[in-house]
Parts: sequence; structure tokens; C-alpha cells
Amino acid sequence: MKKVLAVLLAAMMVLSLAACGGKKSEETTKAAEKTTAAKEETTKAAEEKTTAAKDETTKAAEGGAIADVNNDGKIIVGYISKNLTDPFHGPINEYAKTTFDGLVADGTIDEWTGILDGNTDAPTQINCAQDCIAKKCDFVIILPAEAEASDPAVVQMSEAGINVVVVNSKTTSTDDLALAYCGSDDVYAGTLLGQWVLDNCPEGGKYIHCNGILGNSAQIQRTEGMHKVLDPHEEFEMVADEDTQWKGDLAANAATNAIAKYGDELVAVICDNDDMSSAAQSACNAAGRSDIICVGVDGNQTPLEMIKAGELGATVLQDGVGQMTAAVKVITDMVAGTAPASKEVMVDFVLVTKDNVDEYLK
Amino acid sequence: MAAKSEKKILGMERETFRQFMGKYGISVIMVIMIIAIAIYRPVFLSGTNIVNIITQISINGMLAFGMCLAITTGGIDLTVGAQLAVVGVIMGQMITNNGMPIAVGILIGVAVSTLFGFINGFLIARFNMFPFVVTLSMQLIIRGAAQVISGGKAITFGAGVKNLYYGKLFGVIPYPIVALFVVFVIMYIMFHWTKLGRYILAVGGNANAAVASGVSEFRIKVICYTISGFLAGIAAVIMAAKTGSGQSNLGVGYETDAVAASVIGGTSFAGGIATMPGVLMGIFIVGFIYNGINLIGINANWQSIIRGAIIIGTVMLDMAINGRNRK
Repeated sequence: MKKVLAVLLAAMMVLSLAACGGKKSEETTKAAEKTTAAKEETTKAAEEKTTAAKDETTKAAEGGAIADVNNDGKIIVGYISKNLTDPFHGPINEYAKTTFDGLVADGTIDEWTGILDGNTDAPTQINCAQDCIAKKCDFVIILPAEAEASDPAVVQMSEAGINVVVVNSKTTSTDDLALAYCGSDDVYAGTLLGQWVLDNCPEGGKYIHCNGILGNSAQIQRTEGMHKVLDPHEEFEMVADEDTQWKGDLAANAATNAIAKYGDELVAVICDNDDMSSAAQSACNAAGRSDIICVGVDGNQTPLEMIKAGELGATVLQDGVGQMTAAVKVITDMVAGTAPASKEVMVDFVLVTKDNVDEYLK
Repeated sequence: MAAKSEKKILGMERETFRQFMGKYGISVIMVIMIIAIAIYRPVFLSGTNIVNIITQISINGMLAFGMCLAITTGGIDLTVGAQLAVVGVIMGQMITNNGMPIAVGILIGVAVSTLFGFINGFLIARFNMFPFVVTLSMQLIIRGAAQVISGGKAITFGAGVKNLYYGKLFGVIPYPIVALFVVFVIMYIMFHWTKLGRYILAVGGNANAAVASGVSEFRIKVICYTISGFLAGIAAVIMAAKTGSGQSNLGVGYETDAVAASVIGGTSFAGGIATMPGVLMGIFIVGFIYNGINLIGINANWQSIIRGAIIIGTVMLDMAINGRNRK
């Protein structure tokens, strides 16, 4: 009996793996047909290019852009996500999946890795980077988890000759090594936060600040922007600088604690993202303090719905999908033979209030 | 295989037989996995990818060997993830911020994690507290210490430290692989060839009987948790070199993979059963799961479920092959 069970279980495991890979293999056979045709052309082209390419891959940006950096006749794109769980990253990952599936289907690129799970963990992202290198990727899009600790991922990939496109937030050596950076100016987002509070609470008062994970570039720059606007105004006083790690529940706790401590003197809760500001606003509203102004950055679904329902004043929308669109364009342009005009593509932040919320609410 | 013969074999022989089957069964699963992944992605077996995998598993490897000791004594060590953070920031403060030699920074960092391991063991053995509770609380304390030491900021390491991960012995073998190999050999000798190893199994299997035959339960438990702390320290050095950064938020949740590797490797949560080669294979299997999922390109939203299912499937398959129940 046990032998039979063992064999059955083994068969199941193999089958389950097969099932997972099954769809892919169908696609790849289709893709393979295309590539064989493509290969013949490319080998000709490659032969001409190889000599030049070898020396000049790194200089690709100058002359004609070379998309197939490793000369294997295939364009493979890697995608290292920040995580699969944050509401902000969900739509970005989804957009990437449909877009790259489309690009594979229409033959612009030969393959993509699927969404690799960065798990908001720098060492995991470094592992993913190595997997991309092993898979012979020509382009890799990465949404770094950490400015400092995820940097080796960018460094290793660019050392392997891969064109790295960094999206959403920078790592330390992004400016030097990446093909392009597509993101948004977080300092500007911070100033929008400060300005909203200033406009809606002209008489000033005490406010608390809920941080993202400390050390993350978005956290640092948004905080900087906020201070730039509010610090010159002496009527505003920051009474707490909370380590809330991008987390709504922690921000809600911070808000209720501050209400208990400062009572009516508390006028605002400024958050580095709007998972936190929406949670904080809900907590304030539940405590009968809907007068407290909570504001954050991102433009996630829940905060937008709260604005629509009049429960939340405003949020600063970061166009994540816009950033990804820009990154994809960098890659398709390179494949078409044009190097990116600029190493930085900036996508604007938008202040969303009840006046314009319908444009962004899906 | 000859699972039916289990009842006939007595005493030592049966134990030896079980250990052999333990190793044998898990390696069958490993081979199946390798073949399955390689069929879909031949690149899986390429030299670079194999080296990548072994380098990548080195951190979890260190943690799993320590975790295996803790589990064998009937406990668990949930502090390992936090240890990664605290050693990293200590190294950062010593090496980057105070200009001390790299070796000194590493030594102090590992000494601190070893001390935390000792405290774990002391609290568990001396006051007979539940290991889960002690290490869960210590996890908070240790991560808190990392936050205090670093002030919540990331501390960058220079090329000297990074070289410990990206550098290669004789220009061929990456240092983390060397470290993993050395630790495995030492653990193997300690666990299977010395009295200490026997005592650990004895305390985990039946503490009362072990005490009655003159083994100090207190000493053995303290030693196990101290070793776990020490190995977590080594893992932290590799981690610091890998990321080039010491920060308090690194290593969150790393205990999960360490427990998974131990359990896949045949370590029994009831205590008293473990083999080092088994754990090593468990470490490899966990590494294959991550690498395989990435190479095959499995739908993102399903990855977590598949990881969990493979772990359960592996343990069940191992049980079926071995013809015995692990608790």
C-alpha cells in the first residue's frame, strides 16, 4: 500500500509541476515557431553586428541601440516585482503581466520571466536578479524594495550586461548603471501633502507624521517635501514622527494614540502612503474626529473610494501604471532600435480630491 | 522500498535503518524535483544556475542547521530572522561608522548573536519555559536592539565586506558555498560522530531517560540554542555581504524557510529525530522551489500556494516512502 501511495504522490507532484508549466510550454512552442523564423534573420544580422556589439554593448545608448545584449537571438525580459501583496503594486503587476503577455504574443519580445516575487525583501530580489541572469534576460525591470540593500541586484545585472530599467524608486547606483529610471518626484509629492494641510487648516496646530519603512527613498523624499512646506510655518508643530512602516493598522494606532494624547489640538495626520492615511482617517472618523485631516500618497482604491464617499479629504495619486508604461516604452523603443532619450522618465503626481476623483476611480 | 521490514528490525539496527531510509527517501524527492524542473527549463542545470542556487541557499542553510538542533531538542528558534538584522547593524556600526577592521566587526557581531542564542537556551532550559514563547519574545527584543543600534537607518558596507559574498575561493568557489560546506561537515561530525550528537538526540527523544542516564538536559539545550545563535551570526555576515547593507528590517520571516528546510529534511517536531544530510537536502529543496518557480515562470499569485503545497507534498511523500509517521 505504502509503495503505491508513494508512487501516486510522486506522480501527483510531477503532474502538478507539469500543469503549472503546461500553459507556458504551449505558448513557447508557438513562440518557438516564430523565433526560428526570427532567428534566421537575426543570425544574419547578428553576424554583422557581433563584432561591433561585443565592444559596444555598454555604449549601446550612443549609437544604434542594441536590444539583444547577449546575442542569443532572443529578446528576454525579466520582471522583478517589489511584492505581490501591496494594493499599490497590484495594478502595476497586473499591467505588466497583460502588457508583456501581449508583447510576447505579437512577437516584439520572445519571452518574459513572468512576475518574480520580490517579497519586499532585498536578498530575495538579489536572488531573482541572479535567476534573471541565468535565464539570459536582455532587459530587466526592477521595482526595488530597498534603496541600499537591493542595489546589488542592479549592480550584478548591469555587470552581466543586462539593460536594467528601475521603476518606482531608485537604488544607490541607479543613476550610474541603469538604462533608465521611471518614477516620480517624491519630494514634490511631499510638498503636495504639506500644501493640502496648509490650505485646509490655515490656523495651524499639532500634527503627526506616519513614516514608510525608514530608509526607503520614497519615505525619505516625501518626508523632506512635507517639511519643506510646513517647517517655515511656526503655527504647525509636529508632535510625533511614527515608525509605521507603510502599514495602515500601525498608522491607525498612531492616530488614536495621538487623539488620546493631544485631543482637540491635533489637526492633521500626514502619511507617507495612503494605505496609512485612509486607515488613520477611518480611525479618526470612528473616534468622532472627522475634522482631523489625514492625507497620504499613492491613490489606491480604498482611499479613492473614501474620497468619493466624502470620508477622506484628499490623496496624492502616484501613477504607478504610468511609471510602468514608461518603462515598457523604454524597452520597446530599444527593441525598435532607439535608445532612450533621457535616463530619467518622470511621471507626475496628482492631488486627487472629490472634484476630480471620478477620473481615477475604476 | 522494504518498508514492511520495519517491524522485524530491532534496537540499533532499526534506528540505523530508519536513518538510512530518511536520507534515501528525501534524495528521491530531490531527484524528482531536479528532473521535473530541468525538463521545463534546461537552463536549471546550467553551471551558473547551480552555483547561483547553492550560493543563494547558504543563508537559509546556516539558519536551518541551527533550527534543526532546536527542533531536535523539542523546541524551536524563532529568533534567527531578527539575528540577521542585529548582526548586520552591529557590523555596520563597527566597520563602516567606526572604521574597525572587518574581522573585528564580524567577530563582535557573531559574538552578540551567539550570546543571544545562549540567552534563549538559558531561559528555556533553566526556567523550563516554552521555547516558542521565549524565542518569540526574544525575536522582538533582538529586532528592537537592531533598531536601537541602527536608529532605523541603513548602513552601507564597502567592497571588503561585499567580497565575502561575491568573492570566490581560488577564484572558483564562492565563499558562501565554502562556508556552507565547512559548516555542514562540522555539523555532521558533531551530530553523528560525537557524544554530544547522541546526547542531543537523547534529550530530544526522551528527556527523562536521558537525564536518568546522566545527561545534563540543561547543558545540552543551552548548547543547541547557542550553536543556533552562532550559525545565525554566520548567516548574518553572508547576508550583510550579499546586500551590502546593514539595516533593522532585513531578515523578516526567514525563520519560516529554516523550519521548512529542517522539516523537509526529516527533522521531527516531536524531537529526537534528525539527520544532517537530510537537513542539507531540505535546504536544497527549499532553494529549488524558489529557483524553479522563478525559472518556470509560475503565475505570481499562485507562487505562495505552490510553495506551501510542495512543502506539504514533500513531507507526505517522504513519510510514505519511509513508511513511518513523523509528528
